Amino acid sequence: MTDNIYKPDLMEVIDVTQQTVDVKSVKIRFRDAERAKDFSFRVGQFGLYSVFGYGESTFNICSSSNWHDHIEFCFRKTGRVTEQMWKVNPGDTIGFRGSYGNSYPTQAWEGKDLIFVGGGIAMPPIRCAIWFALENREKYGKITIVYGARTVGDLVYKNELKEWAKHPDVEVLSTVDPGGETPDWSGKVGFVPTVLKEANIDCGNAVALVVGPPIMIKFSLPVLAEQGMKDANIYTSLENRMKCGLGKCGRCNCGPFYVCKEGPVFTLEQLKLLPDDY
Amino acid sequence: MTEIIQEKALHVLIDSLISEGKTVGGPVAGTNHRYMYAKVQSADEMLVNPPAMPMNSIKEFVFPRRETLYTFRYDGKDLSLTDAPAFEETQVLFGVRPCDAVANQILDPLFAWDYNDKFFQSRRERTTVVTLACKTIDDHCFCTSLGFGPESSIGADAMLLDLGNGEYEVRTFTDKGKSLFAGKTEQSDKAGCAAATLEIKFDAQAVTEYLREHFDDPIWSETSLRCVGCGACTYVCPTCHCFDIIEEGNSNAGSRVKTWDTCQFALFTHHASGHNPRRDQSQRQRNRIQHKFRIYPDKFGLILCTGCGNCTRECSTSLGVRPVLQYIAAKAKGLQPAS
Repeated sequence: MTDNIYKPDLMEVIDVTQQTVDVKSVKIRFRDAERAKDFSFRVGQFGLYSVFGYGESTFNICSSSNWHDHIEFCFRKTGRVTEQMWKVNPGDTIGFRGSYGNSYPTQAWEGKDLIFVGGGIAMPPIRCAIWFALENREKYGKITIVYGARTVGDLVYKNELKEWAKHPDVEVLSTVDPGGETPDWSGKVGFVPTVLKEANIDCGNAVALVVGPPIMIKFSLPVLAEQGMKDANIYTSLENRMKCGLGKCGRCNCGPFYVCKEGPVFTLEQLKLLPDDY
Repeated sequence: MTEIIQEKALHVLIDSLISEGKTVGGPVAGTNHRYMYAKVQSADEMLVNPPAMPMNSIKEFVFPRRETLYTFRYDGKDLSLTDAPAFEETQVLFGVRPCDAVANQILDPLFAWDYNDKFFQSRRERTTVVTLACKTIDDHCFCTSLGFGPESSIGADAMLLDLGNGEYEVRTFTDKGKSLFAGKTEQSDKAGCAAATLEIKFDAQAVTEYLREHFDDPIWSETSLRCVGCGACTYVCPTCHCFDIIEEGNSNAGSRVKTWDTCQFALFTHHASGHNPRRDQSQRQRNRIQHKFRIYPDKFGLILCTGCGNCTRECSTSLGVRPVLQYIAAKAKGLQPAS
């Protein structure tokens, strides 16, 4: 059968990095060179990743869309598929379907300051946008990154946080929850919304991308609102359980919106129209 | 003048289709005076005109309970994927209720939404549906409330109308239907058929309007109290299309398989984090009704329900969608319905 929309591409694992005690990031590339040439995606989109014999899981593509030789994703070991994904090594083959969903409106963001707010394992869907912005540095204004996790050990992409801070006009504020710091921790101690409040941000001509656990989002939004940021300028990426990623299997909808097709990227303005179904 | 076919000739037609290697399906008798659509090996097995409604729907023939999407195999470290063989059977279904035929057409836009699901589409293309106009209906039927009826031709290639005495009037609607019955019918001046009549039980438009405004509403907890969450309603539904993608085999060789799933199970939407947007049965009931009567109509302009009544007929607490819809329609009119 041709045009089998459920059949993944075979990907070679080229690198695996353990980010935390239960989070790994993986670099993969297409085994089929022709397919690699055809493939493109937009930052903010997601894919379905297969370990054959175990199943498929949905993760954001956390690499920049400017990197044409490979894509990256990041996962937490938490279930049947990710337990097996944990055992994957460079040279192994996994499956990939995608890219699916809408994306961050990076063109509409041009000329604006960018505020990235993330918590815990939610860094990967922000990371792709950060790299994209840094690679198109002249198109964007000041970049502020506020990233927190429960403990120092739970921060992902720690090395990249340092690297991002070296860029001109980029401020990186990393923080851990009180009690989560280590003796050599040089970042902040406190919850993300508090750090965001203390940060020197100007919401006048800015957009914010806020991704993280519901509690972090809930308390970060009022901080941005106090600074005068409009709902239409606050973006987030939703996660809902998915099986097909193609709008057919019927489980990822939030009321009338299919996260796999009309999402995963929503503005707060859109989110307020969504029923409490996510 | 009308085209008619004698029951005997119909049996000859069915048997000749089977001998040509075609898959023929229709109502067959099960246990306890229950009927089901199933594949038959001879015309004798089939009751084109069963005395009661089949429990299931013809969804099974276009969207099977399990369907292999592709297989995988490891040879050492080398992994290969192989497509499932293309669907090459030709299927002819007889004795289909008009409401079941409608369902296939309602599902078409979903399986073509931006991505074409060739599994559904190839089966659809290779299936001929011959309906039987409903002469009898039961308390659970409500097709007329959704704009269909016992003689509805939507989604049908041909229709049989019972004239009594083992004779059926044949009406053909599509090329597939015409070629199936070409040369098989005789001319007759017997006309008309007493298809059943069915009163309209609620205003479907009013239900859709009400649902748009009432996502959070006491109706969901009120109407779901007697739901046990078994999901039977979704499996017998001709339009419920939600599916799971599962793994069969082991880590050396196996297949990726599409199987029916149901929004009535808590695991359906359970996140890896443990969070579940639909943790209560009332939320799952709400999703089912919202999906059918508001979300699908908003997306595709069609209500995802045919009024067949299977969900209530097969519900162990006689719930299904109709009582909920009548409840909502009464609420929409400002009445306080009895639950």
